[in-house]
Amino acid sequence: MKNKYSIYQKGHSIISPLAHGSYANFEAIIAGKSQLQCYEQRWGIPEPFFASLFQDEHDLNAVETLHETSLHQMEPQYTRFEKLAIKAAEDAIKQANIDASNERVLFILSTTKGNVELLEHLGSCHDNRPYLWYSAQLIAKYFGNQNTPIVASNACISGCAAQIAAYNMLQYSDQYDYVVVVGAEVLSKFIISGFQSFKALSPERCKPFDQNRCGLNLGEAGAAIVYARTKTPEELPEQTIIMEAGAINNDANHISGPSRTGEGLLKSIHKVTENFDTQRIAFINTHGTATLYNDDMESVAINRASLQDIPVNSLKGYYGHTLGAAGIMEVILSSIALQKRMVIKSLGTEQAGTAQPLNVCMENHKIQGDAFLKLISGFGGSNAAVLFSLRQGSGGRSQGTVIRIHNSQFTIHNSIVLPQITIGAQGIDDQLAQLYRNIGMSYPKFFKMDRLCKAGILGAEMLLKDYDFDHENVKADWGIILMNSASSLDNDRRYQETIAEDNYYPSPAVFVYTLANIVTGEIAIRHKIGGESSFYVMPKFDQNLMEEVIGQAFTTNPELTHIICGWVDVDGEECKVNMKLYKRIQNSEIKQ
Amino acid sequence: MEELIYKLKEEIIDVLNLEGMKPEDIDENAPLFGEGLGLDSIDALELIVLMEKNYGIKLKNANEGKEIFKSVRVMAEYINEHKTK
Repeated sequence: MKNKYSIYQKGHSIISPLAHGSYANFEAIIAGKSQLQCYEQRWGIPEPFFASLFQDEHDLNAVETLHETSLHQMEPQYTRFEKLAIKAAEDAIKQANIDASNERVLFILSTTKGNVELLEHLGSCHDNRPYLWYSAQLIAKYFGNQNTPIVASNACISGCAAQIAAYNMLQYSDQYDYVVVVGAEVLSKFIISGFQSFKALSPERCKPFDQNRCGLNLGEAGAAIVYARTKTPEELPEQTIIMEAGAINNDANHISGPSRTGEGLLKSIHKVTENFDTQRIAFINTHGTATLYNDDMESVAINRASLQDIPVNSLKGYYGHTLGAAGIMEVILSSIALQKRMVIKSLGTEQAGTAQPLNVCMENHKIQGDAFLKLISGFGGSNAAVLFSLRQGSGGRSQGTVIRIHNSQFTIHNSIVLPQITIGAQGIDDQLAQLYRNIGMSYPKFFKMDRLCKAGILGAEMLLKDYDFDHENVKADWGIILMNSASSLDNDRRYQETIAEDNYYPSPAVFVYTLANIVTGEIAIRHKIGGESSFYVMPKFDQNLMEEVIGQAFTTNPELTHIICGWVDVDGEECKVNMKLYKRIQNSEIKQ
Repeated sequence: MEELIYKLKEEIIDVLNLEGMKPEDIDENAPLFGEGLGLDSIDALELIVLMEKNYGIKLKNANEGKEIFKSVRVMAEYINEHKTK
């Protein structure tokens, strides 16, 4: 049995410091261009850094003159981040020729930090602007779209996580015909200082997979893809790019360091390539950040999957790591390359040298094959693999695909609602510590966590207390899906205090928690959970959406038997935790 | 030196959030990393910040930390020699 729908790309766009438009960007990188350069004293950051930045706001401001309607006249001026996302989405929507205001269109935003640069001037006041869901709403409303947009906030894999969410919504939900996936990231003192404190930045142009690589460069960009669905892929124009499958797996190893064995990434690769002839894969577009450990980890996973002979490339040498935009822009550029039957040179690699050998693409060249694999990994132990193919004249693939029908049956096995904690006589920290002691937990790492992770880890602990499961081995059949409204803003404010102008000591231990999905990583490590881990941000708790997402996760991941799911939100004065353990009902159980 | 070692232990417990630990619980001659305190790579980075913030010592290369963080005593000796505040 095959999938009900084929999910395909109907339009896309990239706005980068190099060029505007997907094809202009493609031409620029084929010509070997890059805007990566050294910045000194930018944004008051004492140490110089290499990055790919927009030179001025001229290009981003242009967006305000593009829209001819007055839909957004009521809105305040858009921020840099929002303009970038809107501009990318507008180009992609125009190319797709769809009415984005239609109720059957959903927006999914991918970003790690959104408007976080505003925190510097907001102080502790709670303006809506740094909230990711608020930006997402502004962006959707710009196009007259009234559906509540979803924000995929899964650190560096956000761009691919958003595309996988789009796939699931189109394949299973029957509410949407199109999903506009938009990713954007602007850099600031907040992000640069954090990566510097992690000693993760290269003092020169990054060198992915090189034996002398010494860290990553960061970059700004916006990118968007409009995904659509069809029951008759044979009628699509030839050269249409079809998204075959996507998978996410957690390493359950460390919140910031990749697994040495590439375990999570390997699981994701296996999942998307099972029942697919890997001979068809023309190239693998890796994450390739040029940090020692990431590139080694990818080389190990690719070798363990026996795909080491396939050409691999990294596009970080052109744009740096564009965080929430990376997974989207790299898929667009790889899609164009596949259509042109070529593989893009891995700029910056001089002498490949990774833990396991890879066939790194050193020059642009022609290739055989009609599919490519996109890999990506990030903080929180998350990994994703996504497989794309070209629709062929013969009607393409989508034949012989694994069974995926949306009939997952699941029950709520257990649920826990922590008493709502608000600032009172005792601070939230004290109350969380009290709860930790009350339930008899012994996990010293708890005290290193930010408040969001503390809340999530306590919720999971109480949820799984007395539940009989394997505590010894990493469980690929367990997943974690959490949601909230404030993402990691509570801790972002704390990090902001460590980079004040007169007291500038960026704290790596605080910075690592400035990503909402770290809480899924902490729970994965604590309970050895190696299935999907995802984090979504939205304005408020929505039970229907949550159950829809869980149903999709069970359907698209046939191996999942349990999902820890829920709402974990910490925001200044409030801490809300409402978690549930969902268990798949096997067919045999239904009959009984 | 013994005074600095004690102070350093207090600072380490504070910045690394070593809940329930007292300076007396840390053996200044034992390895800081590996077994024992259960510290990881993020803690090592945080110790680099501690050296800069409290003692004005800026490490050029994170790898230098490997030698300096061998034990609290080694760290204290290094600080004694290089501190600028």
